[in-house]
Amino acid sequence: MISRVADHCFWFGRYVERAEACARMLGTSVSLALDAELPAEQVWRPVLVVTGEESRYRDKIANGDDDHPAWGDGESVQRFMVWDEESGVSLVRSIVGARWNARSIREVLSLEAWEAINELHLWIRGDIAPVAFAQHREAFYQHVRRGTQLTLGLLRSTMLHDEPLDFMWLGVLLERVSQTARILDVHHHAFTHLGARHEVVETALWLSLLRALSGSEAYLKRAAGRVNPQGVAQFLVSEAAFPRSIAYCVHSAYDRLCGIRPPDRHDLPGGVTLERLRVLDTWVTARQKEPLAGPAVHDLLTHVVDEVHEICGTLGKELLGAD
Amino acid sequence: MLQSQSQSQGPVAGLFDRYPALPGTFDEMFDDTGARIPFARIAALLAKMTPDELARAQHLAETALLQQGVTFSVYGDARGTEKIFPFCLVPRLIAADDFRHLDRGLQQRLRALGAFLDDIYGEQKILAAGIVPAEIVLGAAGYRPMLRGIKAPGGVRIHISGVDLIRDPDGTWRVLEDNLRTPSGVSYVVENRLISKRMFPRVFDAARVHRVDHYPTRLADTLRSVSPVSADDTYAVVLTPGPYNAAYFEHSFLARTMGLELVQAPDLVVDGDKVYCRTTRGPRRVDVIYRRTDEAFLDPEVFRPDSVLGVPGLMRAYAAGNVALANAPGNGVADDKAMYPFVPKMIEFYLGEQPILEQVHTYVCLFEDDRKYVLEHLGELVVKAVDEAGGYGMLMGPQSTADERDEFRRRIQAEPRRYIAQHRIELSSCPTWIADRGCVEPRRVDLRPYILTSREGPWVLPGGLTRVALTAGSYVVNSSQGGGSKDTWVLKAAP
Repeated sequence: MISRVADHCFWFGRYVERAEACARMLGTSVSLALDAELPAEQVWRPVLVVTGEESRYRDKIANGDDDHPAWGDGESVQRFMVWDEESGVSLVRSIVGARWNARSIREVLSLEAWEAINELHLWIRGDIAPVAFAQHREAFYQHVRRGTQLTLGLLRSTMLHDEPLDFMWLGVLLERVSQTARILDVHHHAFTHLGARHEVVETALWLSLLRALSGSEAYLKRAAGRVNPQGVAQFLVSEAAFPRSIAYCVHSAYDRLCGIRPPDRHDLPGGVTLERLRVLDTWVTARQKEPLAGPAVHDLLTHVVDEVHEICGTLGKELLGAD
Repeated sequence: MLQSQSQSQGPVAGLFDRYPALPGTFDEMFDDTGARIPFARIAALLAKMTPDELARAQHLAETALLQQGVTFSVYGDARGTEKIFPFCLVPRLIAADDFRHLDRGLQQRLRALGAFLDDIYGEQKILAAGIVPAEIVLGAAGYRPMLRGIKAPGGVRIHISGVDLIRDPDGTWRVLEDNLRTPSGVSYVVENRLISKRMFPRVFDAARVHRVDHYPTRLADTLRSVSPVSADDTYAVVLTPGPYNAAYFEHSFLARTMGLELVQAPDLVVDGDKVYCRTTRGPRRVDVIYRRTDEAFLDPEVFRPDSVLGVPGLMRAYAAGNVALANAPGNGVADDKAMYPFVPKMIEFYLGEQPILEQVHTYVCLFEDDRKYVLEHLGELVVKAVDEAGGYGMLMGPQSTADERDEFRRRIQAEPRRYIAQHRIELSSCPTWIADRGCVEPRRVDLRPYILTSREGPWVLPGGLTRVALTAGSYVVNSSQGGGSKDTWVLKAAP
């Protein structure tokens, strides 16, 4: 397929996944702020850190002041994360980005999948979404998640399972690896430095983190109800059967890339990316046997995020027509 | 859902009650005594709807178009606003006999125009015979001297055309303009049909209308028929300027419905006079390009050295016969407004036939007698610059100010070749839903049928784009200036 089209497919997948991740994280944080008896800043600041928006928030909202009350103002953080037009990761920009990429490859998408993302875009750009945001926050996030999930589901159920879908899914999976790694890293760091802890509070925090990754039920099934930092980290990194774990996403991304560029087809471009992703997959799998605690978690997640970044770079050069 | 309320409620306001025909125009659906005979049954079925029902259907139709993204980009809008092309649900009807006449006339016209282009880029016999002044042909902006001697792959130059037709007050069909370069609008023909079938299933079923949804299949066949390689091995693509182009929806629509890839110029590269597409598996040879880019931006080596758009070397590949371009570059010389007055003579010269379709009498300002007449009658005439389209560069004499007439007088005297003039032709009207008045009123329409020409000859899509001037009293049907569209129902002949 055309490299430029592959690039749009890849970014379409990334933006749809990013929009969903953002809505899920914000919705979970609202609920955490109500449950956890945490200082508000410890609920909302990690949201900005995870998305890489901390310094823009400091400049734009908090007047460059690290003690500004805006850091603990959930409404302010949500407004920023949902509506900021200059952001590369705000909810509205992710939906606009997904729809723009989709429109650029309108002939590649199925009609149903196109209509799903187009309707979500019309909704967020129309009059209804701001009212829902103001009056019924949970329904607002729910609408975004339903819209993105519908889009992703329709891609799989109405499109040919060949190269364009492989590139879209590759985008979804690599975005998801980064989301899981960053959210786990930030929360792991924050939660393990809380100081004197109360077991109930701690359990609420870890469950909230799992919910932000749609993983609380899956985790409880695996852990038979025992909630502890090491167990949660192990689960989110290594659980091969959980579709948002790092191991699952990296391995599936490798499978998808093998479909695009079979390992034995040395005549085709993409060899460097494929090898790098294979090495990462092997490395993540090998971590399953090691205990995960303290600084090891941070080191592992940093390595994953850095590698995914590099892989996206070589993918762009080898297959997506980037210069 | 959209059928009339139950009969027991007594008379309800019918759709065409108090329909005020427009004096001095030919109304497409009604004459003085009522609905025209071929349309009586359809008009009666449509009339059963109340204005409320139509308003509801119209609203549903517009929402559906927006949600499907059947939109065009608004130029100069930084937020990338997209609009739907205004659409009126009340169909424009064409009787079987009328369409038979148009079908024959359009095929004839396209055969003659194709022969003219082959001749102009070949021996130029028509110039030697003095049928068309060489000055007009060779001086036309659309004439490309560098293409002389190059044969079009498959022998076709006008693969896709749209010929704008109007109807005068007698109901006579007349050609207003030929569009032989990159005519647009056919996607609306297909999309409008989907909407009207959804909204009026019973009326549509009763009306016995020719289908239009096979257009993309016919287009794909047409493209493959001119391929330099066998049809089965042909890799054909659609070339678009990109998502910011006003007609992008149509480009992607055609690629999708033909199952072809939609490419942009940077996706293509020429190597050894062959065209390749950059793919994730390396370069892939391209055989046919349905290009929806203006030819000025096709190849910077040939047309516009300053252009960053385009595919360098594309014209070398074309000249070598390694790639077919649809439409062929250079067609602008034949649809030039200054060439239009000579098309009937072309038909006689190349085909030895009498023209089947009428056209509008045209004064050619290059000719001294015509120019004199035009300058003396500016207030009665419509003056058009030959190299502008979309309703721009026009003087509407009867509505013009003295200053505007002086301006055009200066322009005509400075560059007579650039101007032609016609008497204003009354356009026919069609019942049209006017939302802010909540009723149906007559509005002026034209018709753009689409003609595909393959190796085997021309084929006319039994349908077309009816454009409607939505503003009361207006004659301007262009979408850029307040025009909308209607589904066009070509009725099948009685069994």
